[in-house]
Amino acid sequence: MTALGTIDGTNLNGGQKLAVKYFCVAAILFGAQIAFGLLAGLQYLIPDFLYEVLDFSINRMVHINAMVVWMLFGFIGSAYWLMEEESGIPVVGLKLGNLVFWIFTAAVAVVVAVYLLVQIGPGEHSTLWLITEGREYIEAPRWADIGIVVCLLVFFFNAAATFNKGKWTGIGGVLVLDLIALFGIYLAGMFYTTNISVDQYWWWWVIHLWVEATWEVLVGVLMAYGLMTVLGARRKIVETWLYIEVALMFGSGILGLGHHYFWIGTPEYWLSIGGFFSALEPVPLVAMVVHAVFDSGVHKMRSSNHPAMAWLIAHAFGNFFGAGVWGFMHTLPQINLYTHGTQWSASHGHLAFFGAYATINIAFFYIAMQKWRGNVWMSGDLVGGWKWKWSMVLLNLGMVGMTMGLLVAGYEQSQIERAIEGSTWAGYFAAQAHPWFQQGMFWRMIFGGMFAAGYVLLVLDLLTIGRHETRPAQNVSAGG
Amino acid sequence: MIEPVELADFFVTFFSAAAVILCGALYALLFAYSRIRNMPRLMPLAYAAYAALFASVIVLGDAANLFGSLFWAAVMMLMLAGYLAAPHAVWHLCVTTHAAAQRDMPAAPPDSSSPETFQRPCKEKTP
Repeated sequence: MTALGTIDGTNLNGGQKLAVKYFCVAAILFGAQIAFGLLAGLQYLIPDFLYEVLDFSINRMVHINAMVVWMLFGFIGSAYWLMEEESGIPVVGLKLGNLVFWIFTAAVAVVVAVYLLVQIGPGEHSTLWLITEGREYIEAPRWADIGIVVCLLVFFFNAAATFNKGKWTGIGGVLVLDLIALFGIYLAGMFYTTNISVDQYWWWWVIHLWVEATWEVLVGVLMAYGLMTVLGARRKIVETWLYIEVALMFGSGILGLGHHYFWIGTPEYWLSIGGFFSALEPVPLVAMVVHAVFDSGVHKMRSSNHPAMAWLIAHAFGNFFGAGVWGFMHTLPQINLYTHGTQWSASHGHLAFFGAYATINIAFFYIAMQKWRGNVWMSGDLVGGWKWKWSMVLLNLGMVGMTMGLLVAGYEQSQIERAIEGSTWAGYFAAQAHPWFQQGMFWRMIFGGMFAAGYVLLVLDLLTIGRHETRPAQNVSAGG
Repeated sequence: MIEPVELADFFVTFFSAAAVILCGALYALLFAYSRIRNMPRLMPLAYAAYAALFASVIVLGDAANLFGSLFWAAVMMLMLAGYLAAPHAVWHLCVTTHAAAQRDMPAAPPDSSSPETFQRPCKEKTP
């Protein structure tokens, strides 16, 4: 063990060394997501900006794809982080895992380079294989799609073989089962049909079921481990709750898929199914509030890693407001008829993705930095502690501001474009030119700048936190 | 199957839907806080939050034309029952899981954070 406060790979086990590689790429892609988001946001205000140099369609695509991939890298890294500690043995097939990391990272770089270099061109069969598959949010070309599935299969092999050879824990079991769904469901977004309704039907399996089922369960696994590490929560309790959460999530989340089937040409019964399960989806979130209050009462919020704990709390709030409040406001078909696909959806998407997924990845970045520096003190009176607090304030305020800006724009769109003008082209342009829309987009840009400043400070903090600390981490073990 | 919301009711729909979730969270928060801190005087406030939730569901049902269909009216009833019961059920699970974990632990001196403390009804005072 090296001196406290010094970054040293010998402080980490094999899986954790691989995890920090994933975290580094995730942090870089997070920056790329913000940069391309800012460019796309600016093009709402100045439509000619970078026209035919870096078009809006490309900026938006890279913005969203970077988000999906950085979160995926963060999740994979987090799973490798906990794998050896949970199973009690070194990761099985770690060399293969390392090889796949480099292949995956190189593939992401090639895909983005192709997006940027081939922005327009004919849509031929080869385009689907080499340039872009054209499905929103999962535009990666077919070769990359296959690569993603292979990478996830190797990740699954690493996890399943490690837990199988070592010991199975509740966290390990849920993780391995979830990884089957993670690569299995992705296959649904890969086959091509000529019927747009059928195509969208399967496309939503990836978008909704990845995000609202498999990712949520993965986040439940990470939260369980995070609470044990940071708060000293007992294994038996967090694992029991993990099972309950998985049951609630699948109970309401899987058929909550129906709220995406309202307007794509599927049968009318999806209005009932989607509406019913969407109404139930917030119930687990309300239940989570009770559990959070109970646990905070038991542990009195004494944590070994204040930044990670703060981001775990931000996760709980962000998930509740982004997914719960912002989702339910426009999920019933009676109102969703007017709001779907407007900036309302973008408002909900921004807050929900940040609240549910970005926050927990950032918490794991801090957990990793603590151990990478020799399990250094990260509780109260942290030297240079202002940086993590201010980056958190800037990131969260920036996100709330962007959400509100998009909300105003989306509210106006749903009225002018949808309800009054009946979703016509004229209505679309009338809504885009309306002062409410313009002002909403302007304020989204301002708060986007604040968010970017928060990101810069976050990276600076991750690189320096604990550097001047000489105290070992506070012990919060509950003995369970 | 559905009757879309009138333009004039857009704001009421959004606002009441948000209020359903927020009041649900406030009810859960006050309910749990009242029990964990053994402060029974907070419990009426928790049920006041639930009453606000109830009112929000009714307003949402009116604005979103949910009363016109048996199915949507049933969804509303289920929501009301679900939000009412969820904090009770989750509290019960919290106490049970913590008590089970406590039984597996080596004996330790009792303190205020012991799960047994939370199993007492709200009316009792901690000694």
